[in-house]
Amino acid sequence: MLTLSLDTATDVATACLTEDGAVLAESMSRGRSTAAQRLLADVHGLFGSARREPSELDAIVAGTGPGTFTGLRIGLASARALGFALAVPVYGVGTLDALLAGDGVDVACIDARRGEVFCRGSGIETCALTPEALAARLPEGALVTGDGAIRYRDRLPGARVPNDVSPLHVPWARHHATLRELWGAADPQYVRAPDADRVLTARAAS
Amino acid sequence: MILALESSCDETAAAVADGGRLLSSVVASQAELHAPYGGVVPEVASRRHLELCVPVVERALSEAGVSLDEIDAIAVTEGPGLIGALLVGLASAKALAYARRLPLIPVGHLHGHVASMYLEPDPLEPPFLLLLASGGHTVLAEVDDHGPDFHVIGRTLDDAAGEAFDKGARLLGLGYPGGAALERLAASGDPDAHPFPVSMVGRPGLDLSFSGLKTSLRTAVSAAPDLDAVRADLAAGYQRAIVASLVGRTMEAVAASGRDTLAVVGGVAANGVLRHELDHACSQRGIRLAVAPLAL
Ligand SMILES: [Zn+2]
Repeated sequence: MLTLSLDTATDVATACLTEDGAVLAESMSRGRSTAAQRLLADVHGLFGSARREPSELDAIVAGTGPGTFTGLRIGLASARALGFALAVPVYGVGTLDALLAGDGVDVACIDARRGEVFCRGSGIETCALTPEALAARLPEGALVTGDGAIRYRDRLPGARVPNDVSPLHVPWARHHATLRELWGAADPQYVRAPDADRVLTARAAS
Repeated sequence: MILALESSCDETAAAVADGGRLLSSVVASQAELHAPYGGVVPEVASRRHLELCVPVVERALSEAGVSLDEIDAIAVTEGPGLIGALLVGLASAKALAYARRLPLIPVGHLHGHVASMYLEPDPLEPPFLLLLASGGHTVLAEVDDHGPDFHVIGRTLDDAAGEAFDKGARLLGLGYPGGAALERLAASGDPDAHPFPVSMVGRPGLDLSFSGLKTSLRTAVSAAPDLDAVRADLAAGYQRAIVASLVGRTMEAVAASGRDTLAVVGGVAANGVLRHELDHACSQRGIRLAVAPLAL
């Protein structure tokens, strides 16, 4: 079974070609929003180095976030269109779940901007919290990874955060492919409503 | 045979065309989704585009009665537009093209509007002068060939004409988007009861402006002791000022460009008063008038 997996929900875009659980080729591009837009070039490179063709795919798995809204949508739109064009099923796996699949990771933590992080693990269900609120819920010595953990490492006392260049901070697309028990719908996890909704809610309440 | 996608604002659209023959055109409007906000919310639009892109493409193919195997190229709007919304259509189109090894044709949004004139059953060949008037734009352009290098000679400096209708409708309490409701109400009003200033016409250049008109309407609405009594008159006067400005400026552009054909594109062309006035002005001057099918 040949699987293409990808994740563009964060500033690091990852993609991977997997066959029956074995990684054939994997890519990682950094750069806010530009990484997501380079996705197909990366995917093309994977097929080239693995000497395979898109038409041979059996499944596509995309990261469903949470993360940056635009990056997340580029990945999901690409995955859905690829799946439609190739007539293969498209699944989704949470970007936080991909991080949690890293060796020994207890809590995954993605920069949610506006002073918050999206986090999950150790009994914390996916949500947006301030670093302090997350710190208060962390088990002592928890291994916390992701770009949110890098950004707010100073505000997560008691947590273990690997050094900035650790691969544990990257939502590697190989995890999306291998976490088959988590394959679900390729629908975005925004976690937050659009800002305009808050304005409407506030208007309705006043 | 080309499959085309468009997601630059609040409509997710896909179409299949074979040369100048349009085989299908599916437009999923988000107008109702944005209505509670009183305008298009980019993040809300982008979320909806992601949900709709593939289903709209699927429907365009099935309504055209063709399969993806028969498609020779993928076209997509590259901009201008809401960047987050555009990126959804672009990512989808790129992926379709990549998966099927098809060429990807990026198309400027305005060029897409212009090209709607080239469709069957009554294709219009350049050269012509184009008036594009919709909720998103108001542009006067000289079009010399099918290519992307048409020459914009006038544009609105602030609101688009369709936006002026919608904002006017909101000021009159007709909801959003309310351009069509404003036209219906205006039909029972007296445009002379409350005349509004016609902007720009007669001034140098060919640009347009509608924000001053909107301000005049706001002032008139708040000054009205009983809005219900004058609502239709205000709508009629306001509409007449927009139409006069559009027609006046367009005729100045026709004269300046020396063209003998005027093409009109965009949702505002659905306005009956505008159609009537353009018709009248063109026949007076011996100008051929071609209006794109309203759905485009
Ligand atoms: Zn437009």
